[in-house]
Amino acid sequence: MAGRRVALKAIDWVAFAERVPPNQRGMFNALKTRTDGIAAKLNSLPETPAVIDWSYYKTAVAKAGMVDEFEKKFKALQIPMPADTQTSAINTQEAEANKSATAYMEASKARIAQYEKELEKFKNMIPFDQMTIEDLNDTFPETKLDKVKHPYWPHKPIADL
Amino acid sequence: MLSRLVLVSGSALKGSGPLGAGLVHASRSLHTSSQSLAPVPPLPEKGGKVRHGLFPEELFQLLYPKTGVTGPYMLGTGLLVYLLSKEIYVINHETIAAISIGSVIVYAVKKFGPSVAAFADKLNDDKVAKAQEVKDLAMTNLVQAIEDEKKEQWRTEGRSMLFDAKRNNVAMLLETNYRERLHTVTNEVKRRLDYQIALQNLHRQMEQEHMIRWVEKSVVGSITPQQEKESIAKCITDLKALAKATQAKAAV
Repeated sequence: MAGRRVALKAIDWVAFAERVPPNQRGMFNALKTRTDGIAAKLNSLPETPAVIDWSYYKTAVAKAGMVDEFEKKFKALQIPMPADTQTSAINTQEAEANKSATAYMEASKARIAQYEKELEKFKNMIPFDQMTIEDLNDTFPETKLDKVKHPYWPHKPIADL
Repeated sequence: MLSRLVLVSGSALKGSGPLGAGLVHASRSLHTSSQSLAPVPPLPEKGGKVRHGLFPEELFQLLYPKTGVTGPYMLGTGLLVYLLSKEIYVINHETIAAISIGSVIVYAVKKFGPSVAAFADKLNDDKVAKAQEVKDLAMTNLVQAIEDEKKEQWRTEGRSMLFDAKRNNVAMLLETNYRERLHTVTNEVKRRLDYQIALQNLHRQMEQEHMIRWVEKSVVGSITPQQEKESIAKCITDLKALAKATQAKAAV
């Protein structure tokens, strides 16, 4: 019989579980149960099939050439491994995932840069009790009063006071 | 106020160069012109020191080297006496009014001044505290957001594990299928051989039974009536002997 295929890669399920975000936990659990089911089924089957005691059959069966013929054919039989249709699909999936992951990392890094810029601005701000109104308007542009749109004090709609 | 500012900025402006003309206004005016980019110094906590509510301390310090502690008081008394005696300041009704109103105002300020000041300070402090809170909240949110982004990046690094798991599943399924095929073949061959053996056994068994039955039949058929009478008579005598033997045994 043909030997078995490539060995399975060991997966650290604990580390994997840590990396799963909470909103995908259901999918992860489904995957794990499926994998465990498949592994259990695999382990329930012994690796080599039961040995056939040809000598016993040779003495027992009356028909002369039958056992020998069976034995010859049996030994010559090659069982093919089942064809693997899914691995290429998985590989393409992985390539796509890598691409989208790199795009996400880029966007994430841009976001981090923006956050850090704002954090720097807050850290380097002068304390509030040393600011003038112009300083306040520079640091927080949304506090600037629009004196063109509302020319009379308080320069903003009364409802916003 | 102007006098004190003259005294203060006189000493301060000796050091600074270009803005000699702006002596009249407060030192803050240095920063409203576009030339100066220095950061604004913080506002002083308290106003300038005064004695008796009116006279700046700098006057006393100015006169101290020449006239000692009592100098400014003597100056004040002398000035007052001069004004009164020369009638440069005339005492009339307005003087009484001024004295009364002045004393009431002084009393009111002394009594309620600190609490009003505290109230105004509290208003300002509330505004500042609110702004500070907004700033702190924004900063914590930003820090948290940075943390979360980093965590998400770490999470995406684990994506290869998913595909490894999938490939493992596929390999396991294929292996299972292969083993099943092996087992099916072996079992089928065994079944065929066992069938042959079972068939042989059945054959032999049937032959045996048939032979036994045939032999029995022929034996029974070959017993003639004469032989049958003889065998029955022999049986009866045997039985009688046996009965006598057991009777004898029972009597003993």
